[in-house]
Amino acid sequence: MGLKRYIVRRIAWAGVVAAVMLTVTFVLLDLAPDAQLARVQFQAAASGGNAEAAAEAYAQRRGLDGPLWERYLDYLGNLATGDWGWSDTRSQPVSEAILTALPYSLMYTVPAVLASTLLGIAIGLYSAFNQYTKTDYAATFVAFFGISIPNFWFGIVLLLVFAVHLGWVPVLFDAELARTHPFSLANARQLALPVFVLGTSAIAGTMRYTRAEALEYVRATFVKTARAKGVSERRILTRHVLRPTLVPLSTILVGDLLGVILSASYLVEIVFGIPGLGRLSLDAIQRQDTALVLGTTLVPVFVAVIGNLLQDVGYALLDPRIDYGDR
Amino acid sequence: MVGEDDADGDGEARFGTDGGEGERARFEDVDWDAIDAQRTRLAPTRLAALLAGIGYALALAHDFLVAGDDPTVEVALDLPGGAAASTYALDVTAVDWLFVATLLVGGFALVPLATNRRLRAYYWRRFRRHTPAVLSAWYLLAIFLLGTVGTLLIEQPDLHLAAAYQPPVFASVDASIPTECVGPVVDGRCQGTWAYPLGTTAEGKGLLALAMFGMRVSMQVGLIATLLSVAIATLVGTTAAYAGGWVDEVLMRYVDIQQTFPTFFLFLFLAYLYGGSLFVLIVIFGVTGWGGIARIVRSEALQRREELFVEAARASGASTLSVVRRHVVPNVSNSIVTAATLHIPFLILSEAALSFIGLGDVTLPSWGQTIAAGRGDLATAWWISTVPGLFLFATILAFNFLGDALRDALDPRQEV
Repeated sequence: MGLKRYIVRRIAWAGVVAAVMLTVTFVLLDLAPDAQLARVQFQAAASGGNAEAAAEAYAQRRGLDGPLWERYLDYLGNLATGDWGWSDTRSQPVSEAILTALPYSLMYTVPAVLASTLLGIAIGLYSAFNQYTKTDYAATFVAFFGISIPNFWFGIVLLLVFAVHLGWVPVLFDAELARTHPFSLANARQLALPVFVLGTSAIAGTMRYTRAEALEYVRATFVKTARAKGVSERRILTRHVLRPTLVPLSTILVGDLLGVILSASYLVEIVFGIPGLGRLSLDAIQRQDTALVLGTTLVPVFVAVIGNLLQDVGYALLDPRIDYGDR
Repeated sequence: MVGEDDADGDGEARFGTDGGEGERARFEDVDWDAIDAQRTRLAPTRLAALLAGIGYALALAHDFLVAGDDPTVEVALDLPGGAAASTYALDVTAVDWLFVATLLVGGFALVPLATNRRLRAYYWRRFRRHTPAVLSAWYLLAIFLLGTVGTLLIEQPDLHLAAAYQPPVFASVDASIPTECVGPVVDGRCQGTWAYPLGTTAEGKGLLALAMFGMRVSMQVGLIATLLSVAIATLVGTTAAYAGGWVDEVLMRYVDIQQTFPTFFLFLFLAYLYGGSLFVLIVIFGVTGWGGIARIVRSEALQRREELFVEAARASGASTLSVVRRHVVPNVSNSIVTAATLHIPFLILSEAALSFIGLGDVTLPSWGQTIAAGRGDLATAWWISTVPGLFLFATILAFNFLGDALRDALDPRQEV
């Protein structure tokens, strides 16, 4: 099977995955007890009205009175055309709420991903070249630390030390400042801690993967040959080890890093009060705004589906040894 | 951990070893009478497992049919030390029942290892080299005992506003912060007391007691949900490996899809829709988080089924089911144990995160919930968020160290 056919098939599979996930979320939503309906009924009963009639009116208003398949098709069609529903608590379309929140999330995730990737690869390579030295053990410990520390708690502790006690950074995130002057020094200061917290949880995986992958090549015969020919250590590092290491790494990064970043950023935003996607989703959860909860859950889901697609296609493109017969 | 064949330690007995004066038994002669005898005789482990299972079922039936909503056990106690006689009531919840079942299954899974001294020594030698992991194992044992046995002995902390904001022992805080300082006030600073070794929350709950109940919640979530996941993953993984063809394709494609859904958001979404109790949370974790382990089991099982001992078992007439049960699963268990150990901290962290944002069980004092409760008082009472967070961090770190060392000890082929 050719590469082109593989890519086409892989894209089709991503479509299937997305469709299955949407179906599953639809079924889950349909089966779940509707908190809002209960509230409407309770309100009607409390004010002496007819709970039954109120429930019917509610269902009609929300378009819940049609047959199941009709609602399902509506649901799919709306999502596909960008109509992600109406957020009751924010009185705006869900897609608009998400688009307003997104820049705040990107503001600290992008620097965190860049920094943790570059540093992670550098430290991983260093560890591989100096295996079982003190520095390698220190790096390993940092990796364990990064994987293990609950980032929401880490954020709280850092806030306690650097904002409350030392006063180096503001305790409260100033959204207005971030919106008007995104590239100012003051904004960088208030984003420093979130970037650091997110970076520590993301760097661990990169570091360990780089070390493991690079170790495979450090002892490879072609590296020995290069060394015997008198190639400089720097050139061995950049040309003979880093290059083959980057192939599997680039794909691991997309898939695994995404998962870490998505879930970590959710809690980081809550701790630091950044009005990004995570914060939006939490508000929706607390106010039981199901349409918004669904929307903010589907964003990471779609990101993950596309990330996985890019990962597989990237692997097939970059590594000629990959046999895409059965995939 | 080890093939059940070796478990009894008398594996040789099945070959003709009567060695009488008469004809000498050759090595390859199989003494079928011995094997038949072994089959009918109930091994002590089996018997114990059977008895434990029956006891468990009876106790469970008693709790649900007889005790109903009343506390399961009520014992009148005369406490030594002159305290008034008090009733000791123990209400066993559904999660507790699952937890007991998990511990029973885990305990009996360890029997083959415990009875085989040589194997135990071998793994211990390999494991001992990792000092952090050995320390982690002791720490986790302490946490486990405090959480399970310790919490039975203490009362769940309740509202006690007069004792709010007490600092931990050896620490002090400005006397204006606690409502009323339980300990001595020195130079206008309230000192911590041994009455509340780790301080108290804004509601005057002792943090030590809260942390101990948090240990129980974390252990229950981590262990029960992981066992559920392992059970499903083993079933799916071995089925996929052995059935092959379209069954394999469908199962693994399903795992693909499940793995693509970001796990944390899946937990979050489900907890939002159906959550509220620890039981539901554990079921959500257990039923949706097994994809990674299933992939490991499948790939390992695919390798094992090509091994000679499997071929030998099949050649001597063993059915597929018994080959899988007696030869494949025990030999895959090394990878399962490693994967499970590394799965536990992820679940504990997920539970803490969900509790932190208020989606956990609000009736149970979990670590994440206490961390969230202390967020508002960071400037004045730093210990409320810090103490449970330290326990959470240390527990996750310990499980990660343990899992890493177990991988080295049990699973030398996997190098990461």
